[in-house]
Amino acid sequence: MTSMCEATTRVVPGAAIIELSGEVDGSAAAVLTDAYQRAVTGDSDALGTVVLGFAAVDYINSTGIALIVSVLARARAERRKVVACGLSPHYREIFDITRLSDFIELFPDLDHAVSQLTGPAA
Amino acid sequence: MTQVARPKPRRLDAFTLPSEPGNERLALSRVAESLADVGLAPPRLERLKTAVAEATMNAIEHGNGNRAEIPVEVEVTQSGDDITVAISDQGGKEHTDTGAGEEPDLLKKLDGAQSPRGWGLFLIRNMVDAMDVTTDGQRHTIWLIMHTGGAAHDEHV
Repeated sequence: MTSMCEATTRVVPGAAIIELSGEVDGSAAAVLTDAYQRAVTGDSDALGTVVLGFAAVDYINSTGIALIVSVLARARAERRKVVACGLSPHYREIFDITRLSDFIELFPDLDHAVSQLTGPAA
Repeated sequence: MTQVARPKPRRLDAFTLPSEPGNERLALSRVAESLADVGLAPPRLERLKTAVAEATMNAIEHGNGNRAEIPVEVEVTQSGDDITVAISDQGGKEHTDTGAGEEPDLLKKLDGAQSPRGWGLFLIRNMVDAMDVTTDGQRHTIWLIMHTGGAAHDEHV
């Protein structure tokens, strides 16, 4: 299946950022896995944080939720924190219902997430 | 005894889709179009769209086995304050997603004690005001019900 999901990655001090766009569904598995690998490979801080950016995501389904669970499980195994930003109110609600928000701190946007993670001096 | 007249359901749309992965997006778009004028608050429309997408995915995958030649049937009706979306496949009693499985538990999933998947019916149940599943021969239908009226419904979930 052709993926309608794209991901860009970059690293800031203490955090690896994965910005997703399009659709997070079953077809996004390879995109998300590759993005995670790229992001954490470039993160010099082995105990860093992974930021998942959803501002440009317009659809997440149950299989996409499963992919996010897998990313979270891997990050926890590697002792990394995962935060998310840019979720619409609807998907924020789904993160609450599934309890993902118990394990993934949610920020309204990337600026808030990064400033919180890197501190006011960044 | 006084009889209360119940309005006859009004069909807003009815259509079929080939059972191909990804077609749930077509279902949710078309259902949303059909509900443009019924007064469903935007957050509740988003919930219904998610439920429609998940139910259609289940019909495509678990009901019709991703066989494109077997259609998924979708019907949208309105009866008073109730919007009903009926999504049917040909999975019959052999439907492989009956909801009889274990409730998804995120902690178990993170610990590897449960598959990361299995959120579909859980999401559906939490997105709509009511749901039902019926089987008539091979025809398996999930009924999604959403009320249009009242701010109180926005407090749901």
